[in-house]
Formats: sequence, structure tokens, C-alpha cells
Amino acid sequence: MISDLLHKQIRFSQLLFFALTSSLGLGILLVVFQLFVDTQSLFGSSNDLLGNQTVIISKAIGKDNAFTEEEIETLKQQDFVKKVGSFTNGTYRVQGSVSLLGMGGMSTDMFLESVSDRFIDVQDENWKWSPESRRVPVIIPKNYIDLYNYGFAPGAGLPQINQKVISQIPIKLSLTGSSKRKMYDAYILATSEKINTILVPKSFLEYTNQVLSPDIEVKISRVIMEVTNPSDPKLLDFFEKNNYQYFQSELLSSRISYFLQLVLAIVLGIGILITALSITLVITNINLLILKNKQTICQLYFLGFSRKQIASVYHKISYKILGVSICIALILVVICKFIFAPFLTILQTESSAFSLIYVFIVAIVLFVVLALYYTKHTNKKIAQMTAVNTSLLTTEI
Amino acid sequence: MTIQIQTIIPTYFTPASSEGWSKVFSLKSGQKYLVKAASGSGKSSFFNFLYGLNNKFTGAIQFDGKDILSYTEPEWTQLRRKKISIVFQGLRLFPELTALENIQLKNQLTAHKTEAEILAYMKRLDVDQLAHKQAETLSYGQQQRVAIVRALCQPFELLLLDEPFSHIDDVQIANATSLILEEVSQRNATLVIASLGNSYNIDYTKTLLL
Repeated sequence: MISDLLHKQIRFSQLLFFALTSSLGLGILLVVFQLFVDTQSLFGSSNDLLGNQTVIISKAIGKDNAFTEEEIETLKQQDFVKKVGSFTNGTYRVQGSVSLLGMGGMSTDMFLESVSDRFIDVQDENWKWSPESRRVPVIIPKNYIDLYNYGFAPGAGLPQINQKVISQIPIKLSLTGSSKRKMYDAYILATSEKINTILVPKSFLEYTNQVLSPDIEVKISRVIMEVTNPSDPKLLDFFEKNNYQYFQSELLSSRISYFLQLVLAIVLGIGILITALSITLVITNINLLILKNKQTICQLYFLGFSRKQIASVYHKISYKILGVSICIALILVVICKFIFAPFLTILQTESSAFSLIYVFIVAIVLFVVLALYYTKHTNKKIAQMTAVNTSLLTTEI
Repeated sequence: MTIQIQTIIPTYFTPASSEGWSKVFSLKSGQKYLVKAASGSGKSSFFNFLYGLNNKFTGAIQFDGKDILSYTEPEWTQLRRKKISIVFQGLRLFPELTALENIQLKNQLTAHKTEAEILAYMKRLDVDQLAHKQAETLSYGQQQRVAIVRALCQPFELLLLDEPFSHIDDVQIANATSLILEEVSQRNATLVIASLGNSYNIDYTKTLLL
């Protein structure tokens, strides 16, 4: 009966407004959150386009262009640098030969380098080597395959090759160091779009350097760094000052990435702002609902109804509206997901239904948090209204 | 329940010296008191102090030795459900509810009376035929009678009636007082009636002139 009584003062249009503002705020928040989850893989390490913001630097060509330990330490201490890895090269002469069945063989001088695994955009369990290993895995730049397929092969009358075939080509590496010569069997494990050199596992390079040329000091020829924003003027200044060279093309994609992240952050910020505004509107709405019933609430309280009983009527209203709003917001999220999907495909992200699970969890958390907040607010308002000495009745003398 | 009143004075106006303000006295179970005064002397304030709506007074009021300022909000709620009943001067019925709904709203808190009992009470005060009419359509005198029945539909040890018969004719006043006195004596409750002058033919233990 108390619920009926309090509902008499509440208009449907007011509840509709309540639900609309609440849906709008929650909808925007959840849609932006969903977009955020979906685009995360863009910035993750596995994405070549906008992932891992790395820069490779080298010193100007000269007599001694190796990096010293102190220089590496200085790099590590810069606040725009997240991680630093160094390229080391083999201190021996490398000759690689390939013999294709029935097509004769090819032999060439080459070089080997290694870098920390965390900078390599290839994840493969075979990317390891120990002295007992039968073959050495090698990663080559994807450019090399393209050069062969579209440049060399047609002219030389050789067949084009693909990723699968390439790993089956047996390679013989002949390494001639200052004190020893050794032969290894190798194969191409994968190609890299990011690192422009011929890579072997670090363990292999360390081992062979030690065994073949124990007297030659290993030098760091180039440095690879993971940075927050490669277009950062501080970073470019730093390079300039120290005479370090870097690849311009890398900075271009990093600018795009930085711009995209900025846009997303702005969208998220606006989403949060609108949500905050909508929560304020909802709170104002609750206040209005309570204020409209001020007299009824006071009288109920003075008759012996507890604040809890009175507040629970309003709690039920706000839970119901919050529930409906969350459902509307979730429907919006699903609709937006379908609308965004083609665009996200263009950006090479895997748009899976998985992000919806996150959105659902966030929706439940939001429901609980907002329900608690509204409950607390309603209780406070009703306590204020029914506080001693503030009643409508104390005006009677 | 014994109510100890110890030199209370409202802080928001200065009442004239009287038998109520600034005095020490007590209101005892089973006794009937008339608070008589002209308009504006603080009768409703006195009732509001006793009902816990207003605590702007100096001095102390104790229920069975406990200072009423120490009661918490849930304790007041329990007191208003089970120990103190009131008919406000302004009645405070819900205009959008029917007469019977107004009474049931109070009654459902303790389920003190059955609907038949309520209707019987309404009949005694000649408002039973108005049971299903909205309160706002009733005359003030009819509303007063509904409010009296509402006040009786709960357990109480103290019954506060603030000018309850101001718009009721003498025949109905007689009906109402007999019903009230029956209820009060059945429960051995304390009765406090505020009036501008009329004593309604009740045999009071004491009359307090405010």
C-alpha cells in the first residue's frame, strides 16, 4: 500500500526521462568500452601496423660505430624508452649455401645477427638453439622473399616460393672464425616484417662467437628500443644530440598509431563525461521523485513507517530503471559491434564476440556500483527529509 | 509508561509562565490529562516534543526514566508503532487514499485490528458509510473522526490528541470520547488531550494550563 501511495505522485513520463538519461550514459560508456577492448589488439605486440612502438638506431658510419655499455645504460634511463635491446653480430665470416634438388646450388657470403627474443615479431617454439640441436633456425626479412619472388626468380628461371616451401629449403652455413671453422645445418623458420636483418637465436650467436673467434670482442652494432611514442620530440632531440640514426618510415606508422590512441582516449573521455552527466541527471531525477512526495514521505515516517521501508520503494524504482537501462545499453553495444565490425576488419584486428563478455562483466559491475550509489543517495535524502526538527509538523505550535 | 517532564521550555519562543512549561511533573499510566491553552501557547509543540518530531527544548523528557533525546531513529519508529499514538492537529491523512485505506495503512504496521473491527469503530463514529471515499472529499469533521479511528488502530501506552474534536458536533464528540476512553482504559494507557477550552465531559486526572 505504501508503494501504491508513493507511486501515485510519480508520472510515467518522468520515469521515461529517468530511463532515457540512464540508458544514454550507460550506452555510451559501454559502447566506448567495447570499442576500446576491440581495438586493443591494434596496439598489442602481435600487430605489425600499430603494435610495439619500436625504433632501431645505429651510429653514423665511421670507424668505430659500436655502442658502449654506458651508452646503452643512458638509453635505458630515458623516460621515453620502455625497453632496450641490442643487436649483436657474428664475429666470423659466414657463407651460406643452398642446394635445390635438380636445380643446382647457390652460395653466398652473408652475415648473422641476434637480438633479444622480446623484440622479434615471430613467436615460435622452435625459435631456440643449443649445441645439441641438429639445425639452426633463421629468421629473414620478408623483403628478401619478395625480392627473390618478384625480382630474382623470374629472371633466373627459378620457381617462386612461399612461406611453407621456404622452411623446407636446407641451408648449409659455413662459419670461419679467427681460430676455427665450422659447418651448421640451418633452415628458415619464419620471416619478419619488422626486423630487417638475418636473425639467429641469441644462444647460437653467443656460442659460435665464443668457439670460433674467442679473441674477438663482441660489439653492439645497432640498438632496438620499445618507446612510448616514437614521434616524441624529446626522443628525436636525443637522437640528434647523440648522432644516432633511425629509420624514418618507422616513425610514420608510429604517428598514425599515436594519433589513433589519442582519438580513442578523447572518445573515451567524452564517453565518461557524458556518463557522469547522465548519472548527475539520474540523481537529480531521484531527488525530484523524492521531493515530489515530501509530504507523503514525512507523514508515513511519522505514522511509524521506517526510513528503510520508505526508501525501499524508491530503491525498487531505481533498480528497475537501472536494469532496463543496462539492457538497452547492451542492445546498443551489440548493434554498434555489428556496425563497427567492417571498419575493424580493415584495421586488421580480430573482432571476436569475446569483447562482449568483457562488456557484460562491466555492465554487471556498473549495475552493482550504480545501484549501491543510488541506494545510498536515496537513503541519505530520505534521512534528511525526515530528520528531527525539519518536519512539516514542527511548524505547528 | 511513565513520562517524566523536567522543566522543559521551547527554545524557539518564550512561553508565558504556566503549569506546563518550566515545571517538573509526570504523566502516569491509566491517567487522563487535559492540556488547555489559548492558540499559540505551545500545545502542538508540547505534543511534538513527546512524539519526537521536535527536540528544540531545554530541560528533559523521560519515558520510564530514559531521556527521549537518546532514542535512535529505529527506536522512535518502534515507539510510534507500539507505544505512542497521535491525532495531529492537522490530521495528516493521505488525501489520495480512501478513509479505510488511511486507517489500514497505519493498521498494517502492527496488524492490530481486523477490517471488521475497524469498520465497527467507523460505524460508532458514523463514518462507516464513507469508508471507500477518498479522504480529500470528506469534510474536516469527518476527517477528524477517521484520524481518531486511525490512532486507535495500533498498540499504545500514550495517546496524544491535539484538538481532536474541533470540527465535530456534540453527539459525535460523545461517541468519540466514549470509544477513546474504552480503548485507553483497556490498555491502561496515558491519555493527553489538547484543547482550546472545552473539556469534552471527560473526568481528567489533571488539567494543565499552558
